[in-house]
Amino acid sequence: MLTRHPSPRLAAYIDRQLPARKARQTEIHLANCAHCRAECEQVRLGMSALEHLPVIEAPAEIWAAIERASQQRPARQPVMCGRWRLAFAALLILALVGAVYWALGNRSGIRWEVVRLAGSPVVGSQRIQAAGRIGAGEWIETDSGSSATVRIGEIGSVEVEPNTRLRVVVARPAEHRLALAHGEIRAKISAPPRLFFVDTAAGTAVDLGCEYALKVDADEYGRLQVTKGWVSFQWRDLESLVPAGASCRTRAQAGPGIPYFDDAPESVKQALERFSFEKGGDDDLSIILAGSRVRDTLTLWHLLSRVPAEDRGRVFDRIATLTPLPAGVSREQALKLDPQTLKLWKEELAWTW
Amino acid sequence: MLRLGIAACALAVLALAEGFTFNLASPVASQDFHAKTAAFVFRTQGCAEPAKAQISGTAEGIVNGVHKSVALKIVSMSKPGVYAVYREWPAEGEWLVNLKGTCSDASAGAIVPIGPKGFIRESSKILQHPATEAEIDAALKALTAGGGK
Repeated sequence: MLTRHPSPRLAAYIDRQLPARKARQTEIHLANCAHCRAECEQVRLGMSALEHLPVIEAPAEIWAAIERASQQRPARQPVMCGRWRLAFAALLILALVGAVYWALGNRSGIRWEVVRLAGSPVVGSQRIQAAGRIGAGEWIETDSGSSATVRIGEIGSVEVEPNTRLRVVVARPAEHRLALAHGEIRAKISAPPRLFFVDTAAGTAVDLGCEYALKVDADEYGRLQVTKGWVSFQWRDLESLVPAGASCRTRAQAGPGIPYFDDAPESVKQALERFSFEKGGDDDLSIILAGSRVRDTLTLWHLLSRVPAEDRGRVFDRIATLTPLPAGVSREQALKLDPQTLKLWKEELAWTW
Repeated sequence: MLRLGIAACALAVLALAEGFTFNLASPVASQDFHAKTAAFVFRTQGCAEPAKAQISGTAEGIVNGVHKSVALKIVSMSKPGVYAVYREWPAEGEWLVNLKGTCSDASAGAIVPIGPKGFIRESSKILQHPATEAEIDAALKALTAGGGK
């Protein structure tokens, strides 16, 4: 039996990286040491959680910085042992953080109620007869004849329409996150903004206090239609703010299109579709500008930051002819896409939406 | 400094010269999630101290040919001078909201017809005085005659 605890070797042991003799010694020690067994379990949990964390690409400049730093410092072979210790400590901290994250997200015991509306919706591999439960990591799937309602904790509900595949990603009081693979959901949320999220291949719908329908088709196009409040649809650095009465088309790997009011002229909607997803050009911009009404400044406000810089003046002028410029909004700042100016302008324009 | 003061006074006078009035909008304009379920929101304009404005409102309706009146609770939003009106009147019948406000010595009013899809911006009347009974009756008559559809 080992007299020293094998803590520094636990990660390597779990990862099957230890030489056979050391692995056998560790095994024997663990069999006789409850403290180390508990520690081993924690490290294992942490490592398992780490495997589930998303991989985020490091910015390109970081590699150059590391290379520069390594060239500036002389090699220090004798401190290898210290480095290993540091690496292990870092790994242990990561493992513990991961374990806490995993425990909070998946082992909090929070499972939302699922109520069958029609047919036999499936949660995991279980058919829901009347009511069931769904937790983080589980899928709910409906076929052409089934639908269900998922109660989103204390903050609202989501109706899962037929032919839909939906996953619960996070079920915590501070974050309620779903992932819609395909199909349609209708969300009714009564909570402060930014507590409810729905991920899709086209981006994330962020609840700002709202009711909405979100659809993702098999061709990866989708549509967000808001009936109450606001929804922010975000993808990378694109954001579409969609108020009640308005919709926004989405497309996988292209993000949200430009929002429009559902009663906008058909010619404007079609031009927007081409402009957002089919590389529409000057003709489409002209149609949008000419066909816009006062309330379509919602569309024009979004368009301002999505047209090429040389076209911003046309968009600005059209908004200014439809509604008077509020105090604090200047052409110069608006064309520069100054965030404060755009926010102030949007808040004022919203009184016409 | 004196010029700046004069300019500020002139601007204030100009602002007040536009008069105390209401500006109606869809609930999204308030930027306040509490207003999500409101019938509509409104803000005061031309009031130097919006927080001190006195605002009240009633819902006036015709149900089965009979005039009904319901006192409304006008809810202040997080921004001063912004208010929400929630539906507190019955589903049956034709209804409008009569808003009244005072700011110092100035008064304002608004008649806001309610249609099946919410408040009707185009038919709303913004007034520089509280609505008279005759104005409310006329608006109700127009609403029941299909003017609000």
